[in-house]
Amino acid sequence: MTTTTDPAARAALGTPAIALEQVTKTYDGGVRALDNVSLTVGHGTFLAVMGPSGSGKSTLMHCAAGLDTPTTGSVRIDGREIAGLNETRRTELRRERVGFVFQAYNLIPSLSVEDNITLPLRLAGRRPDRDWLRILVERVGLADRLGHRPAELSGGQQQRAAVVRALAARPAVVFADEPTGALDLRSAHQVLDLLRDLVDELGQTVVMVTHDPAAAARAHRALVMADGSVVDSLDAPTAPELADRLVTLGER
Amino acid sequence: MLHLAVRMAAHRIAALLAVACAVLGGGALVTATGVLAETGLRSHLSPGRLAGADLVVGADQEFHPPGDLPVALPERARIPAELVDRLAGLPGVTKAVGDVGFPVSLVDAHGRVVPAADPGPAGHGWSSTRLLAHARVEGRAPTGSAEAAVSAELAAAAGVGVGDRVRILAGDRLATAYRVSAVVTAPGAGVYVADATATALSGRTGSVDLVGLTTEPDARDRVADAVREQVADSGLKVRTGADVGVAVSPGADASRSLLILLAGSLSGIVLLVTGFVTAGALGVCIAGQRRDLALMRAVGATPKQIRRLAGAQSTVVAAAALVPGVGLGHLLAGQFRQLLADRGVLSPDLPLSVSPLPALAAVLLMLAVVQLSARTAAWRTSRMAATEAVAESRSEPRRPSRARTRAGLLLIAAACVLSVGPLLSRTVLGATTTSLAGIISAIGLALAGPALVARAGSAAVRRLRPDTAAPTWLALANIRAYALRIAGVVSPLAMAVVFVLTYTLTQTTVLAATDADTRAGTLGQYRLSVPGQGTVADGTLDAVRGLPGVRAAAPLGTTTVVWQYEEFGEPAAEAASALVLAPDAAGVLDLDVTEGDLSALTGRTVAVSSDAARFRGVARGDRVRLVLGDGTPVDARVAAVYERGLGFGSVVLSRDLAAGHTTTGPQQSILVRTDGSAAADRTLAAFTASRPGLVLGGSGSADGGDDAPPEVWINLATIVVLLGYLLLSIANKLVAATAQRRTEIAALRLVGTTPRQIRSMMRREAAVIAAAALASGVLLSALPLALLGQGFLGRPWPAGPLWLLPAAAITVVVTAFATVELPTRRTLRHAPAETLRAA
Repeated sequence: MTTTTDPAARAALGTPAIALEQVTKTYDGGVRALDNVSLTVGHGTFLAVMGPSGSGKSTLMHCAAGLDTPTTGSVRIDGREIAGLNETRRTELRRERVGFVFQAYNLIPSLSVEDNITLPLRLAGRRPDRDWLRILVERVGLADRLGHRPAELSGGQQQRAAVVRALAARPAVVFADEPTGALDLRSAHQVLDLLRDLVDELGQTVVMVTHDPAAAARAHRALVMADGSVVDSLDAPTAPELADRLVTLGER
Repeated sequence: MLHLAVRMAAHRIAALLAVACAVLGGGALVTATGVLAETGLRSHLSPGRLAGADLVVGADQEFHPPGDLPVALPERARIPAELVDRLAGLPGVTKAVGDVGFPVSLVDAHGRVVPAADPGPAGHGWSSTRLLAHARVEGRAPTGSAEAAVSAELAAAAGVGVGDRVRILAGDRLATAYRVSAVVTAPGAGVYVADATATALSGRTGSVDLVGLTTEPDARDRVADAVREQVADSGLKVRTGADVGVAVSPGADASRSLLILLAGSLSGIVLLVTGFVTAGALGVCIAGQRRDLALMRAVGATPKQIRRLAGAQSTVVAAAALVPGVGLGHLLAGQFRQLLADRGVLSPDLPLSVSPLPALAAVLLMLAVVQLSARTAAWRTSRMAATEAVAESRSEPRRPSRARTRAGLLLIAAACVLSVGPLLSRTVLGATTTSLAGIISAIGLALAGPALVARAGSAAVRRLRPDTAAPTWLALANIRAYALRIAGVVSPLAMAVVFVLTYTLTQTTVLAATDADTRAGTLGQYRLSVPGQGTVADGTLDAVRGLPGVRAAAPLGTTTVVWQYEEFGEPAAEAASALVLAPDAAGVLDLDVTEGDLSALTGRTVAVSSDAARFRGVARGDRVRLVLGDGTPVDARVAAVYERGLGFGSVVLSRDLAAGHTTTGPQQSILVRTDGSAAADRTLAAFTASRPGLVLGGSGSADGGDDAPPEVWINLATIVVLLGYLLLSIANKLVAATAQRRTEIAALRLVGTTPRQIRSMMRREAAVIAAAALASGVLLSALPLALLGQGFLGRPWPAGPLWLLPAAAITVVVTAFATVELPTRRTLRHAPAETLRAA
């Protein structure tokens, strides 16, 4: 545990943070949300997944994060295969290796910000690393808000608290599902800056699902999805480039 | 709006089911109460043996207190016999019959009384057969004093026919042989003797029970007017058609009064519980929709529209639930009537009165409660700025308001004050304050609950050690943060506990105290009576007194008396059952007389209980205004004051006072005290066997009943029905509340809570709910019950079954766990990401 909690050490080991091999996900009624997708996300990278609604990007994220199991294919999180794990085992794996940031924040309203942040650790029965948490909280500017309830914070503050929660357990990878979708421009910028800094400064791995080209442009690499498949992969994308790519998707 | 309401409603099945159940049960209870009340007011016995009469003239048989419902009087009031001739002379009258009645029992060849339905058969003069409808007479009219005609049923039961001899107990005579001169087949027929013999057996000359008239065809209404004119100043009633049934038997008819009383006392608790349950269910339902409502505000709905939406949606559900509810109410009322009839409280012949009125009242009342509760529940969300409403809809709506908490604490304090009732008055009325105090404090708890729960939750969270298991910690955090939600399920559960404990233990404690009173006060070991006859044969008393080993014997009777007094300067009247005692009663009864003496019970005198004396401001030597069971007003002097009012009632009449004012005579049974030797027992048994119809029994309670009084059964039945309703609604509410936590549970799972941890957290919450409900329920009941015990039994705890508390505890625990566990499991079956997307 001591060696793998440090993202830099993980990167050195050579196992990718996320590895999907020929993943297919079919829902009841025959809808094929993911069609034979293979994908590797290395440690310390910031990946954006783009695509129109129904392109399969959310399903890709749910499978990659272990929230859902693929119909066929293999998903490895930090080297651990999730196919064949039951709900409890997957939950435990997620708790340890995966952090989540949702569009709707999903903070627990009954808990204070501090309790929300430490919740995954408590659930795992682990003691929080106080120094690490202090660094994170100060970095996101919530040091004076720890005692508040989520309802007493602005949307941007809630999302930053959610980011801290996602990072509290030093996960191998953080998944962000439309993290700026509910935020105003300024708050959205702050959250995106925060995510990028986490990757650049702390070597964190982030996978972000979005359909905002400006948001995706902050990533190292952007995947474009359509009809359950990855149709394009752009390194160091720019917003106009991505917007153009999305538009041409529709014309195909 | 309605269309929207229905659409939104379709997504909240669990919560709406809770509302539907609450309304259905409430509608049933209110309807049932209404049907009982209406039956009490309007139902009539069938005309029976008077079905052949076109009109019947009789005494009013009702006492009309100023400004209150009439009290039915059970003792037959006689009317002057000369009226018969006067009415016979009216034009259009074909026949006028002076009806005279007396109790009869047939004795079969083995010396046993022929069993008969209740009320037992009555004897009448032969001319009363004219009042029977479609009577078929086989044989001839009885003549002289040794012939009788009997009904076909009685003849068959006794195994006799025309010309046979049969022994008959008539009035207060010993069994005498009669020759059967005729067998009469007609509904309601009894035993008929020659008119002169009937008058002699009834013990009264110059008066009759009622006058029945037959008229020329189509002359009934004309004759009725003429008769009314004739009797205008006498206070007599002229009855025609279905009304005639009232005159058949005042005793049976008087049981209607009980229904009115019963419905009156039920209505309070029924309305209280119904309102509480319905408002609670709607509260949960609307709380679950706060987000929808807030979003509707955001897209332009006005606050008023929101409230209307909430009201409309609930009304649709309520309206649908009221239809079966009203039907169920009628069934329930039928069951209740049956229960009362089985306990002998109500005449089994009294039909339920069915009209749309109780149903209409129930529907209007329930719809009003539903509209009001729904609008109140939606009030806050509807009034907030739209954006704020959306933001707030994600968490608990508010800090519990201070006014609400304060009102709740005040109610609890008021309940504490109220619970001293039993210390002040050792009467059934004093005891009712105990259960009332319990219910009021439960309502107080419902109001103050959220604040109390929040405070307790905070204290518990602060005290937690940092290494507490996550589920416990989460459960406590939820309790602190969702104080309203938790209190919303704790308070009805606590109310159920309070309700069961205070109501049941009040009954059993009063019963135990009454029983102790009666037992301590009854010196006689045996009671002689003639069941079905209602009176012991003349001469029995002297014969018993003469038996070797018998120390004392005294006659005993019960009647109904209305005591008129002043309360807070207003005239008041209380109708109650009263003992009728002879001056020699002290030999068999010890009423614990503190002033005066029972031997002074001669002439126009009464003895009163010390409680009644204190509250009505009378003392020995004062005069009290009474109305006797047949409606005769009297002024009586208080000859004695006694302590054992609980066991023997608030007033005892002297035999002289009651004489002539009861249907069967004041000597309904004889209480006997022997020297306790086996020889005396044998002598008494042999004497009893020698007199057909006479039954020797234990002394039992002094008023003739041999087990718990009917009120106890009625109250227990009420408890069972109301408790079932409460539990059902609580279960529904808990299921709905848990089902509405889908999003919260999904969010917890997304951040890494395992299903096991979720279940564990929910179980801990259920444990806290059950423990809080039990603890507060027991705490709130403790003071009233301790004071009740002190007041009635002289010790600070009540009397009652030991299993009651554990049974209540198990019920609460099972309800809390089952209703939390099942919906949680259902929620856990869905993937959390799916749940969140759907929410």
